[in-house]
Amino acid sequence: MFRSREFLLAAATVMLASGHAWAQEVRLFSFEGYAEPVWVDPFEAATGCKVSVAYTGSVDEMFARMVGSDGADFDLVSIDTSIIQRYLDAGLIIPFDMSKVPNTSNLLPSFAEVDEVMSGGETYGVPIAWGSLGLIYDKEAFPDGVDSWEALWDPGNAGRVLALDDANNNVTNAAIILGLDDPFNLSDADFESVKQKLIEQKQFLISYYAGFEEGVNIWDSSEATLMFSMGEFQAVELADRGYDVVYSIPKEGGIGWLDTWALSKGVQDSDCTHKWVDHYLNGETGPTMTELNGYGNTTDESPELNYADSLVWLQPVENFDRRVQVWNEVKAAQ
Amino acid sequence: MTAYARMVRPGLADCLLWGAAALFILIPLASFLIFGFFSVVSNSIDYRPTLANFDELLSNSSYRTTFFRTMRMAFLVSATNLVLGYATAYFIWQRPPAWRNLMVIALAIPLLMSYIIKIYAMRGVLGTNGLLNSATMALGIIDEPVSALLFNLTAVRITLSVVLLPFMVLPIYVALERIPASVLHAASDLGASEIQIFARVVLPLSLPGGIVGAMFTFVLASGDFLAPELVGGIEGFTYGRLIFSQFGLAFNWPLGAALSIVLMIVALGVIYAARRFGNPRWQR
Repeated sequence: MFRSREFLLAAATVMLASGHAWAQEVRLFSFEGYAEPVWVDPFEAATGCKVSVAYTGSVDEMFARMVGSDGADFDLVSIDTSIIQRYLDAGLIIPFDMSKVPNTSNLLPSFAEVDEVMSGGETYGVPIAWGSLGLIYDKEAFPDGVDSWEALWDPGNAGRVLALDDANNNVTNAAIILGLDDPFNLSDADFESVKQKLIEQKQFLISYYAGFEEGVNIWDSSEATLMFSMGEFQAVELADRGYDVVYSIPKEGGIGWLDTWALSKGVQDSDCTHKWVDHYLNGETGPTMTELNGYGNTTDESPELNYADSLVWLQPVENFDRRVQVWNEVKAAQ
Repeated sequence: MTAYARMVRPGLADCLLWGAAALFILIPLASFLIFGFFSVVSNSIDYRPTLANFDELLSNSSYRTTFFRTMRMAFLVSATNLVLGYATAYFIWQRPPAWRNLMVIALAIPLLMSYIIKIYAMRGVLGTNGLLNSATMALGIIDEPVSALLFNLTAVRITLSVVLLPFMVLPIYVALERIPASVLHAASDLGASEIQIFARVVLPLSLPGGIVGAMFTFVLASGDFLAPELVGGIEGFTYGRLIFSQFGLAFNWPLGAALSIVLMIVALGVIYAARRFGNPRWQR
């Protein structure tokens, strides 16, 4: 009889396994570098809460997956302050119970009161890390250094350039390079020049990449010497693989971001989740992360990152969907 | 129980089977197709039926160029594999029977591997520091590593050809196996040369397997999005990635579904054509 009993049993098991999260677990959906064993292990030992993490390739992917599952798949997302409003509008995040995050008292003054994380008197994001989307170059190939983004448009560097596959960051960065007044509120004409600028770059690119690790892997298997980076962590990873690279913010400026933990509306173990956020601000996790992965942290000064003043901090944009659309047209262009 | 009786009084097993097919295949597929007629308004889906997505597909030229570029790529993969696959299947068929099964199993083993691992493996082969470059340099064929092997459409075609080759070889091999030895002997006895036997007996009898294989390859290659993303570089923006980006990045499921409907119509057309040409009247 077609083994229908075994089939039903298997189907039931699959359904149970997929719908059920284990008790005492924090499910993170984040960029790479926020859940290293150095601070995950002591947390798990101290609280009995298990930490599981899924990494995202881009801001766009993260949002699409959260909307797709209505937040049910994750407890916490690492989103930057400019995009919190988008998650709020989509009803994907809920406020923290700040009485369960006492370590917010450790936040540096400049991170203790960030307007973008607040809405209606409630806190929707807890700042954990900051950094930039800088330019990485190979020291051997450029002994005199690279001081302008235009190097990524230089025919002399054709076939040696990597850029990230992320709609908003590409559009914003191109706007910064073009020197547009407000990179976050583009007019129709601005959109057109940004699009042309990005299409113009394609002839010099090896590939777009999605995700820190993927960018480093492509660097490893190609002749790349220049990269529009997703963040400081990539320079650390490239150095680990023996590449002599420099992470820099060119003269035009670069995108700066402040990442927060935000609470998914599908949160399952709220207790463990709040404990994890608190653990991040205990004054040890932050500096360890800075030392290990190169991001600025929010509880201690990070003197290594001396370029905060030349960054253009991400802000909410005029129309996110339009940016995704423009980016798709850039990628589809011949 | 005769076949006729089974048709009249369906058993429990049949009900379960059809129920499962409806539950797990037909209903999800239908609900997915319906999404193509909805739209997205400020991050949520608007369920009022509209043809806006199809209008967008027709009016925005970037969809069209991506579509045709992808079809061309899939066709080339299919054609390459027809030649390579036929040669491989013929080679296996010519071996002694004891060898054949072993070779077929060896050929099928990669099918058990994760698809993504195979693509990464191909990246290791094609890269500047990759296997192919090191080998050709060691042999003195080239002096400097060739970077043109990876991160372009050629890399996508090579990768898809390699990964999809078993789908071509297996149906051709099965078709060759089904040719009765007596037919070959008869041709030989009647004075046909080796070449005549191949051209007038073996090839016509086994080509339907090749058409089935070409159909598999074309359909799989045209919808693929992982190989183009991982080895295609900036040229690798294919129709499959366009669909993926609607679901995975842009949260525009309706547009993604509309794009998928177009691809599905093409796939069904190819399958229909393969059915007609792959099962010629003189062979039924």
